[in-house]
Formats: sequence, C-alpha cells, structure tokens
Amino acid sequence: MWDKDRLDKLAGKKQEWEKTTLADSLKRFKKDKPSTRFYTPLDIKEFDFLDKVGFPGQYPYTAGTYADLPPGSGPVRGGGGSLAVGGLVRAGQYAGYGTAEDTRDFYKQMIVRGWRVGPNLAFDLPSQFAFDSDHPLARGEVGKVGVAVSSFADYETIFEPFQGDRNLDRIATNMTINGPANAFIAMYVALAQKRGIGLDKLRGTPQNDILKEYTGRGAYLFPPKQSLRLTRDSIVFIAKNMPNMNILNISSHMRGAGATAAQCTGYMMANGIEYLRAGVNAGLDIDEFASQITFNGMGGSMDVLREIAIHRASRRIWARILRERFGSKSPKSWLLRCTQGCLVGHEDMQAQRPLNNLVRATIGGFAAAMTGQVPSAWPPYDEPLRLGRSLESQQLAEDAARILYHESKLCQVRDPFAGSYFMESLTDEVEAEVWEWVDRIEGMGGAAAATESGYLQREVARSAYEHHKKIETGEEVVVGVNTFTGDQELEVLTTRLVADPYDPERRAIAEENQIAKLKRLRAERDNAAVKASLKNLDQALRDESQNTFPAFIQCAQAYATIGEVGDVMREVLGEYKEYAII
Amino acid sequence: MTQDRPIRVLIAKPGLDGHSRGAWVVTMGLRDHGMEVIYTGLRQTAEAIVQAAVQEDVDVVGLSCMSATYDYYFPKVVQLLRETGVDDVLVIGGGVIPPEDAAVLKEKGVDAVFGPGTLVKDIAAYIQANLKRPGKAVA
Repeated sequence: MWDKDRLDKLAGKKQEWEKTTLADSLKRFKKDKPSTRFYTPLDIKEFDFLDKVGFPGQYPYTAGTYADLPPGSGPVRGGGGSLAVGGLVRAGQYAGYGTAEDTRDFYKQMIVRGWRVGPNLAFDLPSQFAFDSDHPLARGEVGKVGVAVSSFADYETIFEPFQGDRNLDRIATNMTINGPANAFIAMYVALAQKRGIGLDKLRGTPQNDILKEYTGRGAYLFPPKQSLRLTRDSIVFIAKNMPNMNILNISSHMRGAGATAAQCTGYMMANGIEYLRAGVNAGLDIDEFASQITFNGMGGSMDVLREIAIHRASRRIWARILRERFGSKSPKSWLLRCTQGCLVGHEDMQAQRPLNNLVRATIGGFAAAMTGQVPSAWPPYDEPLRLGRSLESQQLAEDAARILYHESKLCQVRDPFAGSYFMESLTDEVEAEVWEWVDRIEGMGGAAAATESGYLQREVARSAYEHHKKIETGEEVVVGVNTFTGDQELEVLTTRLVADPYDPERRAIAEENQIAKLKRLRAERDNAAVKASLKNLDQALRDESQNTFPAFIQCAQAYATIGEVGDVMREVLGEYKEYAII
Repeated sequence: MTQDRPIRVLIAKPGLDGHSRGAWVVTMGLRDHGMEVIYTGLRQTAEAIVQAAVQEDVDVVGLSCMSATYDYYFPKVVQLLRETGVDDVLVIGGGVIPPEDAAVLKEKGVDAVFGPGTLVKDIAAYIQANLKRPGKAVA
C-alpha cells in the first residue's frame, strides 16, 4: 500500500508528534504515559487489501461471510419489521421446560404470541447425560435446565404444535444436545418418517459438538476418541441423507469457562479440524459435508474492538483451513456460518444492578453489527438472576436489537472497519494468536488427543483464574461488581409483572409426572422390540466399520428409553473420567 | 487460636451440572489465601461429598451448582454431615441462586451462599471469621 519512502517519512512525522503534541498533552493531563494508542499505516505496512480483506462474501471472507446482510436470527416474534426471519428458515429461541407436555404447551403459547419458527430445544441434564428421569443421578434435575426427553414418545408430544404449515418440512429445529446427540437426532428422523416427510426436507442444527464439552461445559459421557466415533457416524449419515440439515455447531462454551478470546477461538478451530478429519477419514469428500458444519456465537467479552477483530479473523482462518489444509474446492465449504448477532457472552452479565446488562448486551449487538451480522442484544438482562428469563427482559432484548438496526442504521455498511489501520493491525495480531493455539493443539495430535491428556482443560482453568485475579485486584473494572459499589450508589431493582410462561405449579410436579410417564411407557411398549433394538445398537457400536445411525433410529422407533440407549453406549464406549486438572 | 495447620476446604460440584469455572476460581483463590483446598471434580453425589469431607478432615465444604439443583443437594449434604456426627464443618454454597432461594438454603442449615460476582477475598474473610472449629485451623 505505502512505499518505503512514504513510510519512512510517516515514521519521522510520528516521532515528531510523540515528542511534541503528545508529550504536551501528557504534561497537561499529568500522565506518565498515554492511556491510548493511535494507529497509522506503519502498523499494517505490507497490507494487501485483496489478500487480507477482499470483498464481502469472497475469500478470505474477512469483510463478511455473505456479500449482503443475511436475514437476522435475533428477534423472532412480534409484528413485521425487516428484522423478522425474512427468507431464511430459522429455529427460535433456546427453550425447554419440565416435561414434554410442559414444553409443548410453552410452544403453543409462543405460537399465539407470533413465533413463526421451529423449536430450539433445551434438554434437561439427565437427558444430556442419557440417564432416564428415575436414575439416581437425575434426582432434582428432571426438567430443570430444559425439557426431559426420556424416549421418542416425548418427541411426539413436544412436536404436536408443529404440524400443517409448521410441519417438520417447513421449520428448522435446533437441538442443543451433544454427548448422546445421535440418539436425539435419530428421534427427529423417526418423527419425520412417521409423518411421511422425506429426510431431505429436514432443516435444523443439532449442537453435536462433543469436544467443547470437555473444555467448556462438562456434559461429556465417553472418552474423546470414542465420542468422535459417534460424531463420525452423524457426519456421514447426515451428509448422505439430510442435505439441508446442519451436522454440528462448533460452540464457544470455553469462553464461559474462562478461556481467552484467542484461546477459545483456537480451540473452536482445532475442534472443527478434528470433525473435518473425521468426515474425510470416513471416506467423504471434504465438499460433501463441510458446508453443513456451522458455528455458534464466538463472542464473550466486553472488550468489543478485540471481539470484532477476532470475528473478522475467524472467518479468514476457517476459510484457510478448508481451502489450504483440506483442499476444499467449493467456496460454499469455506464459509464460517455463525448466526448469533452478539459479541458479549453470558459470562459478561452481572447479577449486581442487572439492568446494566441491557447496556452490555446492546454494546455486544453493536459490535456484532460491525462484523456484518444482524445485531441481537443478547442475553436478556436477567440472565444471571435465575434459570429462566422473564418475558419482559426478552422484549427489551428484542427492542434493543430493533433500535440498533432500524434507528441507528448500523447495518447499512458491510465491514465498516475494513481498511482501518487499527482494525487490520489488530485482526492480524489476533489471527496470529489463534493460529498459535491451533498449531499447538495440532502438534499434540489434534483436539481429541489434547483433550484426552487434560491439557486443554487445564489451560482454560488457568485462564479463568488469571482473569479472575484481575477482577479481585480491580485491574479489570466491572461496574457495580468490583467497583462503584459504595454506599453512594443506588440499588436498582427490577420486577417481573408478566407471568412466567412456565407455571411454577407445573414446574414443582414435573419430575414426578415424568417418572410416572416413564414407568407407564416401560409397561406398555413392545419390550421384545426394545430389546432387539438395543442389541442391534450394541453390535453396531462394537463394529467400528458400521454406521450406528440406523441402530439409533431403530431404538427410537421401538421407544427404547434414553437411559437404556445410554447404558448400551456406556457399556461399549466406556465413560470418561476427568483428570484432576487443578 | 492455635496454629495446628492451615484451614482445609473441600470444593465440590454436586449433581450433573458441568459449569466448573466458579469452583476452579474459588479453589485456586482460597489456595492463594493460604488454605489447603481439595477440588472433587464434577458429578458428585451428596454421599461422596460427605465421605470426602470426613476423610479429608476439612473445616469447610463449599458446594457449587448452576443447575437449580442446589435446593436438593445443599440441604442433603448438611443433613448427611449431621447424620455422620459432623457438626463443626462450615457449609457454604455458590451458584446462580436467587436471594429467596438462598434464604431457604440458610434455613436448612447452609451457613452462607455466595452469588455471581463474589470476590474470593470476601469468601476467605467469611471463612476466617466463621470457622466452627477455630482451635484446629488457621489461615
């Protein structure tokens, strides 16, 4: 961009500025050193626009995954507005309550309130661990953080409101399930088959990202390599049979667990490489399945300029991994598809003076808009107060996104930071940090091996504590938490006036109801068919060359419980015991 | 106060919740305050936690839970400790726990509940001020 002569001249001017104008300023403000930095072409010396940025929707995608703004994934209900789901088929907000009946009734309520999208299922912890609701470890957990799904019968109930013009061929369904993901995707397949809907018509996204469970969220079941066998089977089955369904959604839960931005992104990329390798090693062409791998939000801090840079860098890194490391020929495979329009995380929400979280989330939505996404002010401000957000907080989150989009007109320019000396310099810097993590993990034999050894988990714990120490000392300021907490501050309370969509009386009896229903199911179903399906699954799991997916579908159709299916998997694959990492 | 040994703490994750950041940070933070801290890892039953507390002869049991199962596990740990004849161990808890639920936990014998945003130095100070067996341990 700039030739050597002009750069030399600029360097001289910069030195002069530092000695005169800047020095005067510091003297006047009584500072030893500046608290700011100013960027010039000196910071991006050899910058090549086409190589580093390019046009939106073109390699290397720094300026945007798509040439123009995609329809949003944020606000999904209420009237009109160009922020509504538009031309794309999307899933709705993450939700799941109590029993299948409770969740069905929640969706019925939401449809009345204007939802035009499919469900985005939150599962309770026993379901996430493939335990039946009456397992000793399920005690107290049934229906708490999501819906309890004990068998295919529960899927039939949950999806009752999704018929006719909301049938499975018209909606997208997300399933936030990882460890036993295949069993739950298989239930969805069984439901489509029962309704006479071709698998090629199904849309949606199972989370199905097992590697992040070990480092971010703790809901793993089997050792990493055994888990990858299940992932491989889902990759192959979905790629061959469900071209409109995503296979998995690479997630950033490591952020919530304490990983830094570059570390988390490095883990995500390394996890992605591991999944791509699983598909290729199973005999698929990279371009047969890579475009069905998506990303969850990559944000997670209030340091938003850095978050914008990470986002721009991520698109470039993923494209290069696909093109250069996997030899992908199809640009469709190179896209980092990530719909979450916010760049702050759940971990940035504070319980103290919680309305401030609306400000934080709005800043995150602003930052997302700067990366070419439809902004969403997520999560709602009452996120850290208890499980279950109020309808009021969700209304405000949607309104904030609408204000960002319509009133502040933030989405009219693609990659507004393109070419900024500062942003391009920072994007290069964070890209290098992410590659360092990717290369280190690959050097250890890949993400599964680096997880198996406990290394990745230990590094997240270390980052979490390093960050926390800065909060303890006040080096990192969190308003209303570690600073600005004195007697002179006003407590600002919030109230909930709109009734929770989930009746607390139903919540109180959900576990009891779910267990009673499960006992009835075990008595009434064809137990010979269940036994045969479990035996078939056992055999399929023991034979590496087989794809287990048809066996999971058979288990669903026979109404085998998730605990029974889980027991077979645990027996054959073994259970992962975490290392003492701290 | 006699200085027999440092304060011993067991940090435990009861139930299926896998969000361990709080437990990690409190474990490492209390160590930096001079305490000996044992972290159980994930997916502990109340029975296993009490057994570990007795075996390790701890002064404090810290329970961490983000999945709203604290209402089952925290009182259960208190109850099992009492049934085992242990009445001089401080039981504290943390997680996303609304104040009204924290009040119920305290009624059921949990000594203190620390919510999101708590600084470890405040937990350390609380422990030092409220040890139930002060003759035995000191920070």
